[in-house]
Amino acid sequence: MSIVLALVSLLFLSIIPLLIIFCCLVPIIGAAKSLRRWSRSMKGLSVLLIFIIIFNTLLSTQPNPFSHSIALTLRLVALMTSFSIFFLTVHPDELSQSLIQMRVRFEFAFAMSMAMRYVPTLGQEAYAIMDAQKARGVELDKGNLLKRIRNIVPIIVPLIIVSIRRALSIAESMESRGFGASAHRTYMTVLKFRKRDWAVVIISFLVLVLVVYVRLFMSLPTWMLWELPI
Amino acid sequence: MILLEDVHFAYDGLYTALRGVSLQIDECERIAIVGSNGAGKTTLVKHLNGLLRPDQGRVILDGVDTKHFSVAELAREIGLVMQNPDHQLFLDSVEREVLFSLENLGYSKEESKARCNRTLNNLGLEGLSERSPFTLSGGERKRVALASVLATEPRILSLDEPTIGQDARQKENLAKMLGELNEKGKAVIVVTHDIEFVIENFPRTIAMANGRIIADGPTNSVLSNDDVLERCSLTRPQLTETARCLHKVFPEVTERLTLIDDLEAVVVKVLGGG
Repeated sequence: MSIVLALVSLLFLSIIPLLIIFCCLVPIIGAAKSLRRWSRSMKGLSVLLIFIIIFNTLLSTQPNPFSHSIALTLRLVALMTSFSIFFLTVHPDELSQSLIQMRVRFEFAFAMSMAMRYVPTLGQEAYAIMDAQKARGVELDKGNLLKRIRNIVPIIVPLIIVSIRRALSIAESMESRGFGASAHRTYMTVLKFRKRDWAVVIISFLVLVLVVYVRLFMSLPTWMLWELPI
Repeated sequence: MILLEDVHFAYDGLYTALRGVSLQIDECERIAIVGSNGAGKTTLVKHLNGLLRPDQGRVILDGVDTKHFSVAELAREIGLVMQNPDHQLFLDSVEREVLFSLENLGYSKEESKARCNRTLNNLGLEGLSERSPFTLSGGERKRVALASVLATEPRILSLDEPTIGQDARQKENLAKMLGELNEKGKAVIVVTHDIEFVIENFPRTIAMANGRIIADGPTNSVLSNDDVLERCSLTRPQLTETARCLHKVFPEVTERLTLIDDLEAVVVKVLGGG
């Protein structure tokens, strides 16, 4: 579904249709009970978005640069929102479980879910390392650009070492707990495709077909192509 | 020398770690901080050198609020060694690792070199000075991390779990080195679960539970308080246990003893020696 929504947002590049898509996305996120986390990540991105607006407005060759850049930004937001629907609602374990049930080999699926859950751990690790180095008198937030770049070394080297060490110890502990001992694993939970899942798939597919048809074979009514007066 | 006034702190403003901690640390003190996991011990020592700033309350060093100083400035006065040595080691030899801290604080070449050699000798690392820290064992890496901060001889030295992974001899060496620093007028603070290490080396103990200080005083009285031990998830020290057993037979022996010399003296007296 989020792929469909993302594709839909890629098809349009005017303000009104993108706004409509956006208005469809927000209730979905609300239904997934992750509005707060979503708004937090959007807040984090707002600086980037403002940059996009400014730069596109200044550098664009479009007849109405401001409208164009607003539309671009909206499209980016819509794209990211549709992907966040996926990542905010699907637990990494469920994702790897579904891959396994689609006959992907367990090792690969497991590696993927490990990689996904490792990101926040790595972040925490980085903060701990920064603390440890600051306590030794490294001035992380002072000095000119060159010095700051040099200051990355005391952070990045331990981070890499710690990650490698951790990976090795995880591998050892997994093996000692019997990882890969038998070809057939059993699973606590088995995901099923229920009727409403099919319904979602079919509805999203129909929407996609409809939108593609509208985009390719019909011209949009003029109110949809409305642009901001400058 | 350093004063904490009613310090409150919550991680991300959500997970409360300290709920009003006040304490004073003077020069030449040796203090142990004990408490169960999650009691706020590490959070507390991170406030000393400004890695964490209080949400409420103040940390005052020599009469000046530490919020005016950066961590690097405070590092000159207050050393902190974290639990995981891998978080601070990044250079390709033990010696350079130790020199790095000294260079950060602006010591001259000769001075740095001298301090570095002295510290490595004291910690039994002299044979390893050319080795890469990453090829050393866990206990050795821990000592290299210790050395890199010990060499700067800060006025207040705080160590987070320094005895993990160290054998009895290394613990003795560490205790000896901390003792020497202490004699030079430096304050030493350790966070630890190693109760015997505390009894032998630290006259003052601070017990923490649930983000608060529940006891602060002479080690032998803090660690013979059953309620404190219970709330810190500590078992009774063996010496206290022994004193209790002796108390049943010889009422002259008090139950609260925790120092081996005191116990010895009392036993000798009870047995009629002298």
